Amino acid sequence: MTALQAPPVGEPATAGQVARRRWRRSRGILVAVLALLVLGVLLALMRPRTGSETLDPDSPGQQGARALAEITRRHGTPVTVVHRASDAADRLRAQPDSVLVVVRSERLVAADLTTLRGAPGDRLLVTPSSETLTALAPGVEAAGSAWGVPEPGCTLPAAAYAGDADFLGATTYKARGEATQCYFDGLGGAGLVQLPVGGATVTVLGSSRALMNEHLAEHGNAALAMNLIEGRARVVWLMPDLPAPGSGGHKSFAELLPFGVKLAVLQIVIAVVLVALWRSRRLGPVVVEPLPVVVRSAEAVEGRARLYRSRRAADRAAEALRAGALERLTALLGMPRSAASDPAMAAEIVAAVAAHTGREQAVVGAALYGPPPVDDAGLVSLAGVLDDLERLVRNS
Amino acid sequence: MALTGRTGLLAVLGAVVLVIVPSWWTLLAVDGVIVALVVADLVLAGNVRRLRLHRSGDTNVRLGEEATVALIVENPGPRRLRARLRDAWPPSAGSSPRTVTVTIPPGERRRVETRLVPTRRGDRAAVAVTVRSYGPLGLAARQLNRAAPWTVRVLPAFPSRRHLPAKLARLRELTGQHVALIRGQGTEFDSLREYVDGDDVRSIDWRATARRGDVVVRTWRPERDRRIYLVLDTGRTAAGRVGDIPRLDCSMDAALLLGALASRAGDRVDLLAYDRRVRARVEGVSRTEVLTAMVRAMAPLEPELIEADAAGMVSTLLSRVRQRCLVVLLTDLNTTAIEEGLLPLLPQLTAKHLVVVAAVSDPRVTEMAAARGDAAALYDAAAAERARADRRRVTVELRKYGVEVVDAPPDEIAPALADAYLSLKAAGRL
Repeated sequence: MTALQAPPVGEPATAGQVARRRWRRSRGILVAVLALLVLGVLLALMRPRTGSETLDPDSPGQQGARALAEITRRHGTPVTVVHRASDAADRLRAQPDSVLVVVRSERLVAADLTTLRGAPGDRLLVTPSSETLTALAPGVEAAGSAWGVPEPGCTLPAAAYAGDADFLGATTYKARGEATQCYFDGLGGAGLVQLPVGGATVTVLGSSRALMNEHLAEHGNAALAMNLIEGRARVVWLMPDLPAPGSGGHKSFAELLPFGVKLAVLQIVIAVVLVALWRSRRLGPVVVEPLPVVVRSAEAVEGRARLYRSRRAADRAAEALRAGALERLTALLGMPRSAASDPAMAAEIVAAVAAHTGREQAVVGAALYGPPPVDDAGLVSLAGVLDDLERLVRNS
Repeated sequence: MALTGRTGLLAVLGAVVLVIVPSWWTLLAVDGVIVALVVADLVLAGNVRRLRLHRSGDTNVRLGEEATVALIVENPGPRRLRARLRDAWPPSAGSSPRTVTVTIPPGERRRVETRLVPTRRGDRAAVAVTVRSYGPLGLAARQLNRAAPWTVRVLPAFPSRRHLPAKLARLRELTGQHVALIRGQGTEFDSLREYVDGDDVRSIDWRATARRGDVVVRTWRPERDRRIYLVLDTGRTAAGRVGDIPRLDCSMDAALLLGALASRAGDRVDLLAYDRRVRARVEGVSRTEVLTAMVRAMAPLEPELIEADAAGMVSTLLSRVRQRCLVVLLTDLNTTAIEEGLLPLLPQLTAKHLVVVAAVSDPRVTEMAAARGDAAALYDAAAAERARADRRRVTVELRKYGVEVVDAPPDEIAPALADAYLSLKAAGRL
C-alpha cells in the first residue's frame, strides 16, 4: 500500500547505490547520444565519397568515368575533356549541337558560371552545386536525398528505356514550371530533372554513382548515362580544375552550410528551449522559513580578548588574571569573600600564601600586587607564577 | 503543466530528420507532431485538481525524535494517475523522502509516508503537496500545488528527564524523613496517629487524646501546595548559543525538570515566558497535566532580539500572584541587564516572594579562562576572568537581596536547579 521507495532516512547510500542511481538516470540520454552517433556514422559512410578522380573521364579508378567516356567514343560520339569553363564555352560555340557534361561543379566560380550560361547547347549537370543550379537550371532546387534504386516513373525516353538506376545517396530535386521529373524518392523529390532553358535542354542528374566506372554495369546505369549524352555531335566533358585561390569570391560560413543543417540548428535551439522548460519547472514552491539567530554566547568575551590582544594590553590582562587568582586563593585559604578585592587585606593574603607555598613574601607580593607587566613575555611569566602559587596552595 | 526530458530528446531527434529531409515543411511537421503529442499527453494525464488528499499521523514529536505523517491520496477520476509527488515541509522539519513516485489506478488510494526529523523546536506546518501527473507517453505533465494542512509541534527535547528518578528519590527521602517531624517552620499538619514509643511527647495532641481515650500524636510533613512560578526570559540574552544550543533551550530544560519534580512534590507550578510582553503562560493546570501543558507552551517559543523588560515582567508577576510563592527566574547573569533591569525592582519581588535566579553559564568561558601557553591564549584567559568576575559581582549583588542564585553550565543547570529547590523545600523556606 505504501508508495515509499527511497532508502530509510539516515542510511547513507553506498557508492554502488549512487552509481546505480546515476546510471539509471542517465542511461536514456546515453542511448540517445549513442544512437545519434551511429546514425551520423552510417550517413557519412553511405554518402558517396569524392576524390580527385571522381567522375574524371580520364581516370580508370573506381570512381572515375573513363568507361563511360570510352563507350561513348566507341559509339561514335567524340568526347572532349576540358578543364576550364572558357574552353568549354569555346567548344560549344564551335559546335552548338554538342552536349556539355558538367561534373564537380562545386569547383566552378561565379565567372565560370556566367561564361557557361552564355554558351549554346544542351547540358547535363551531375550533382550540381546550388550556385550551378541557380545559374544553369533556374527553377530547380535541391529537395533531399534518395535511397535505393527507383524506377523512372516518367515518360522521358532516356529514363524510360534505361529502367531503374542507382540513386543510392543521391540528391533529389524539385522543379517549378515545365520540367520532366524522374526517379522519385517518395517524398516528392526527383533524382533526374529535365527542363528547357532558353531553347536548349538542361538535365540535372542527382546521382554520380550512375556514371562511375564501379557501378556503370549495374542496373540501368550505363543505359541512362548513354541515353543522356549520346546522339549529339560532340560531348564536351567539363571537369573543372581547382579554382585559383581567391577567385571564388567570399562566402560566409552560413552560405557554406547546407540548408538542412541550418534547419537542424534551428530545431536544436527549439530542443534546448524545451529542455530549459523541463529543467526550470520546479516541483512545488521554494519553502522559506525564518532562521534562528546564531550568536555564540561567548562572543562578547572573545571580542574583549581580541581587543586586549590588538592593543597588547598586558597590564589590563594581568589585572584580570590577578583578580581571578586572588579570588580562588582567598577561597582556598578560607578568607572572607570580600578579601580578594580589598587592598587592606593585601599584606595578610601575601603572608598566608607565602606560608602555604613556602615561597618568599617578596616573590608572592610581586606576583599578586607587583607592577603590571609591560609586554607579552612579562604576562606569560606572570601567569606561570600565578598558576604555580594556586597549585601549591591547592596541594598544601 | 510541465515538460519532461523526453520532449527535448524528441526535438533533438527531429533535428536528425531535418538533416535528412531539409525543408521548412519538415520543420513544421516535426514540431507540430511534438506539440500534438504534448497536448495529447496533457489531455490524457490523470487529473490533479480532483485528487482527494487526507492526512494522518503524529502531531507532536520531541526534538531529536522521528515523526511520521501520512498523506493519503485518493484518485476519484476515470484515469490512472502516474505522478511525482512532493510533500513540502520547511527545511527544519527534516522531511524525507523529498519526492515520491506514485501510481494510482482510478478509484483507488495510496498512502505516502513522510518521515520528519525536526532540527528545531516549534510548530512545523506542511507547506503544500505538489503533484506532477504525467501523461501515458511521459512527454508532459499536469502540475498543481494542493493544500493538505497539517502541523507537527516539535516539543523541547527535555534531555534532563534522566535526572528525574534520582531527584524524585531524594524528594521521597525528604518527605519520609520528615513525616514524624516536630512541628516547625515549613511543615504542615499531616495526620493523627496512635502514640508509639519514641515519639516526641511534644507532638501529643491532647484534645484528640481526650476524645479517644488513647494517646494520639500529630504528624507533620513538609509543606505542600506551595506555588512555584517559573519565569522564562525570552529576551536577547536567551538567544546566545551555549555550545550549540540557545540558552533558552537550556533554561527550558531546567524549567521542565523543576516543573516535573515540583508537581510530583505536590506543589502548584505555573509558567510565564516574558520579554517585553507575555509570550506564553501556563496557570492553574492540574498537577498531572502541568508538564504536558508546559511542554506544549514552550514548543513554539523563540528568543526575541530585544532587551527584556524587567519592570514589565515584575509587574505582570505581581499582578498575577497574590499569595507567597517561589519565583524561579531563568535568565542570564548579564551585568547590564541585571544591574539596570532587575536589581532596582528586586525589593518589590523579594518582599513577598522567594526568588531564585537560574543562569546558564558558558563552558567556553571556563575553557578560555584555563587557556595557557602563548600571549594570545593569556589574553583569552584574561578576558574570560574578567567576564567571570563580572558574573560573580552580579551574583553577590543578587544574594544581597536574599535571592538564591544557581549558576551552572548547560548540562548541569537542570539538576542544580532541582537540587536548589529540594534544599529550599527541606529547609522549609517555600
